[in-house]
Amino acid sequence: MGSIQLALLLQSLDQQLVDWAWIRQNYREDIVPAVIGHIYLSFVSVAIALAISLPVGIIVSRYRKAYPPVTILTGLLYTIPSLALLAILVVIPGIGVGPNAVIIALVAYSLLVLIRNVVTGIDSVPAETIDAARGMGLTERQILFKVEIPLALPVIVAGIRIATVTVIGIATIGAYIAGGGLGQLIFDGIDQNFPTKVIVGAVLATAMAVVADLLLLALERYLRPWARRVRGAS
Amino acid sequence: MIEFKEVSKIYPGAQTPAVKDLSFEILEGEICVLVGPSGCGKTTSMRMINRLIEPSSGEILIDGEPNTKMSGTALRRKIGYAIQQIGLFPHRTIARNIATVPQLLGWDRERIRRRVDELLELVGMNPADFRDRYPSELSGGQQQRVGVARAMAADPPIMLMDEPFGAVDPITRERLQDEFLRIQENIKKTIVFVTHDIDEAVKMGDKIAILEQGGILAQFDSPENILTHPNSEFVASFVGADRVLKRLSLLRVADMRLDPADGADDLPTIDERLTVRDALSQIVGVGATGGIVERDGERQLLTIKAIEGLLKDSGSARG
Ligand SMILES: Nc1ncnc2c1ncn2[C@@H]1O[C@H](COP(=O)(O)OP(=O)(O)O)[C@@H](O)[C@H]1O
Ligand SMILES: [Mg+2]
Repeated sequence: MGSIQLALLLQSLDQQLVDWAWIRQNYREDIVPAVIGHIYLSFVSVAIALAISLPVGIIVSRYRKAYPPVTILTGLLYTIPSLALLAILVVIPGIGVGPNAVIIALVAYSLLVLIRNVVTGIDSVPAETIDAARGMGLTERQILFKVEIPLALPVIVAGIRIATVTVIGIATIGAYIAGGGLGQLIFDGIDQNFPTKVIVGAVLATAMAVVADLLLLALERYLRPWARRVRGAS
Repeated sequence: MIEFKEVSKIYPGAQTPAVKDLSFEILEGEICVLVGPSGCGKTTSMRMINRLIEPSSGEILIDGEPNTKMSGTALRRKIGYAIQQIGLFPHRTIARNIATVPQLLGWDRERIRRRVDELLELVGMNPADFRDRYPSELSGGQQQRVGVARAMAADPPIMLMDEPFGAVDPITRERLQDEFLRIQENIKKTIVFVTHDIDEAVKMGDKIAILEQGGILAQFDSPENILTHPNSEFVASFVGADRVLKRLSLLRVADMRLDPADGADDLPTIDERLTVRDALSQIVGVGATGGIVERDGERQLLTIKAIEGLLKDSGSARG
């Protein structure tokens, strides 16, 4: 995105860079829907990816042999260039252009980091904590839900944070296959040689990523109250 | 009462058993210490009682019933469990850590709250200060106290303790041992206590089971008898060349019958609460042949000779 913006900026130095009047007139029918579309794409993608990654991560942390193939598969998805993945998805019958193809691609990108963090989080639970839990008579289910997941949660949220920021960025490309979102503004701006749209789209996408990052960071801290408070042991 | 009947454990893939044909009985209200060198199967034996490990053969009876009669989780909720690594839940406050088993058993909140405070008091920690802290905000000794309190929370008749004071410095360990013995005097639990430290075994145990490599029971007896009559080379070398002195550490000056002292002003004064071993050390330390014990307003004489006599009549027990 950076180079495109720069090229445009240089090209249009003679124009007024940001057309504030356009923003005032069009924010309701152009900008707000683009923002909502973008939030929709990102949120739904991360939510679906999480719904897949949590159970997969938990299963993989139990059946260790499944971890390498899962990592290879999700790693492979992660390395496919985004544009190529979108192109492949639209030619698959039943998917075609539109937000669904974009969501599938974004889910595919999120799996690697999410599954990895679920497994890392569960692995980080001290063995003696689990032994004590079992020794006191917690069932395997209770160990998972009352000990392992709460202790893994901050690490899982850290994964959600990385995935969300990545997804918000990549989602802009989704407009290329009519996925909507802020990418639509950017592509329109390029087509119409109208830098205001490009800048509004880019700035809002960046701001959204930053806000999501901060919110999730705050959540991560909130979920780790035992590390937040620092008091000297006496 | 806990009874091991011909219990063996061979881990999958292992050439030799970790525990072999173990048979012995732990009486109600007693502390039975499992002691032996590292890897001799102490932890394995202990964990078969609450079925964290299932034996390969043999059975374990609790109050006459096989411990397989109820589910493993139901069994474990009735048996206290404390380990060296403590394993407090880092994400739960001290109060909620201690409340773990009562919560599993469905106690109401008020009862749990009262029990938590009572236990914190019992292990010498001010409830108001500690109940809302997280484990990371406690020292090692405090964490071990909480570990023991958590194991006692639902007042289980049996407690399993695997090197429960193993992770603290020697001074703190001694204090925790003394405190625990004081608590046990009142609660009279049946306790299986694992340690690799023979001194701790002698101090804590009503009975000691010495295991040797391969999980074989080398000797099972009272500390006095093990120190007086080790039944094999292995036991003799495990209890150490200072076993005579160790016996003296089982006895307190207060338990000895002493004669009145007349004169002998130059002898050191001995506190009657000392162990005989410490008293002897104090006497020998100042180059004397005896010491003066003040008891019931009377001055009594403790001589090295009297201590020697103590060792000769071999069966003499505490109290
Ligand atoms: N989970 C296990 N799998 C295989 N072997 C084990 C396992 N736990 C313990 N062992 C082996 O069994 C023997 C006894 O171990 P353990 O009961 O932990 O001894 P101790 O507590 O006396 O140090 C050791 O040789 C140890 O290596
Ligand atoms: Mg052990």
